[in-house]
Amino acid sequence: MTLKTLNLNAFKPVWLLGLIPPVLFLLWWDHEAAKGGANALAFVSLAQVSQALADMLASGELGLSYGSSLGRALSGLLIGGGIGTLVGIAMGLSKPVEWAASPIYNSFRQVPILGWLPLIGLWFGSGDLSKLIIVALSAFYPTVLYTFEGLKQVEARLLDVGQIYRLNGWQTFWRIQWPAALPSIFTGLFQALAFTWISTIGVELLFSSGAGLGALMQQAQLQARLDIVLVCILFVGLTGFAINFLIKRLSQHVLSWRSIRA
Amino acid sequence: MDYVPHSQIPGHKSRQTGAVSLKGIKKQFNFKDRELKVLSEFSLDVQPGEFVSIVGPSGCGKSTLLRLIAGLDDTYDGTITLDGQRVAGTSLERGLVFQDHRLFPWMTLEDNIGLALTNRNIPKDAKAKLVADHIALVGLKGFEKAFPHQLSGGMAQRAAIARSLVNEPKVLLLDEPFGALDALTRVHLQTELQRIWLAQGSTMIMITHDVEEALYLGDRVVVMQANPGRITHTVDVNLPHPRDRASPVLHKLKDEILAELTHVPEPSNPVVRLIKGDDQ
Repeated sequence: MTLKTLNLNAFKPVWLLGLIPPVLFLLWWDHEAAKGGANALAFVSLAQVSQALADMLASGELGLSYGSSLGRALSGLLIGGGIGTLVGIAMGLSKPVEWAASPIYNSFRQVPILGWLPLIGLWFGSGDLSKLIIVALSAFYPTVLYTFEGLKQVEARLLDVGQIYRLNGWQTFWRIQWPAALPSIFTGLFQALAFTWISTIGVELLFSSGAGLGALMQQAQLQARLDIVLVCILFVGLTGFAINFLIKRLSQHVLSWRSIRA
Repeated sequence: MDYVPHSQIPGHKSRQTGAVSLKGIKKQFNFKDRELKVLSEFSLDVQPGEFVSIVGPSGCGKSTLLRLIAGLDDTYDGTITLDGQRVAGTSLERGLVFQDHRLFPWMTLEDNIGLALTNRNIPKDAKAKLVADHIALVGLKGFEKAFPHQLSGGMAQRAAIARSLVNEPKVLLLDEPFGALDALTRVHLQTELQRIWLAQGSTMIMITHDVEEALYLGDRVVVMQANPGRITHTVDVNLPHPRDRASPVLHKLKDEILAELTHVPEPSNPVVRLIKGDDQ
């Protein structure tokens, strides 16, 4: 039995520290809400918010909106991220493609995602298709950029090895370039995830027809239902947190070959 | 001590193939408006199974020379042949060990070595056996599943040597293979390389900064000078393998080569000589 088996760190409740700010904030919030009067509209009590949460869960409204937003974000990520990765690979592997695609990519990238709304709205209306296009675009930009950068940065010294062992183009890509670019591709995926979730809520707020957390918030705002808005915000935040956590775990798993010391 | 040709050393698996011939090699790099001559009229004949060391100062074109023989660079004048066949592009017949191990960090040790066999047209189990045999040859049994970041520098370089030998190349090119290692590991791997060469028998051409290393391993030591890179002279090391590092012949030759490389005349004062000999 060595000390090594007693990993004290594992028992240290470090994560509990992260709970202190939100709890303090909620206490302050409830205190303000209890004062009533002029603050009544801005601060609803936590009891009211919990009640709204229970009602929304019971009526299925929350589940429907949440599922709709999550589905939109994931399909946008798959479509935009998938196409983005392919475009990034094409640009990273072929100089002519890079020269042809870089100028248009770099100028379009300067337009904020929500800046496309008027145009997309005119072309495709304010329905699900338009929302999906916006969400997919938000995943597309970072995946193109980081896939391209990742492939560009593959060191010549590693490619020399592939040449020595006479790997063909496909073998070189699959055995050397792709794994070497993976850390960068994951960085892009991280960003894409954050952007798709943010743009999902954003586009739902602006095109507030149909189901979705953003649309629900928009309607609640019109009805001055601050409790519903708060429940939505809570779910948006927690989901973003969960997505980041999952991707971090996934990248740690896939990139486990990287030295911890590096 | 009489010179024993390496082909007659007991245990040395001598081969009939692996003759490398370089004739009138000229190589230059072009910078904007001027050209830099890296190699000028470089000619060298290496016998099958011979171990040739090439020493020279930084920038004398040694590494460039190996890249040309390996086929990583085809832009030069002159001819390079292996067993009479002109060299074009890379080939599994010509292995190369770099100064840095260049193992792929995302592959285990056995996958890294197996990668060298990707395009060998032999059955899977034959490949697995070759990989296992070569891991054993370099003394890394038990580390098959290790990732490069889990290996020490010396172990990683052994793995790189195994990878370059797994195709049983006719000639193995070594570009300062131990230059990045600490002094003790270096001495140890030099001994190992000698053992591997005796067991394996391919022609070896090794580039190094280290005159002692060049003499300890080489049947012949080629001394180069820079600007432009050329051979200034060749030293035959008439000592049988495996060698004794303490051999006075090696020390004498080392002093001569060092004197030539540093342009310092040989010390005529016997006391100086003694001191110089002491710290080796």
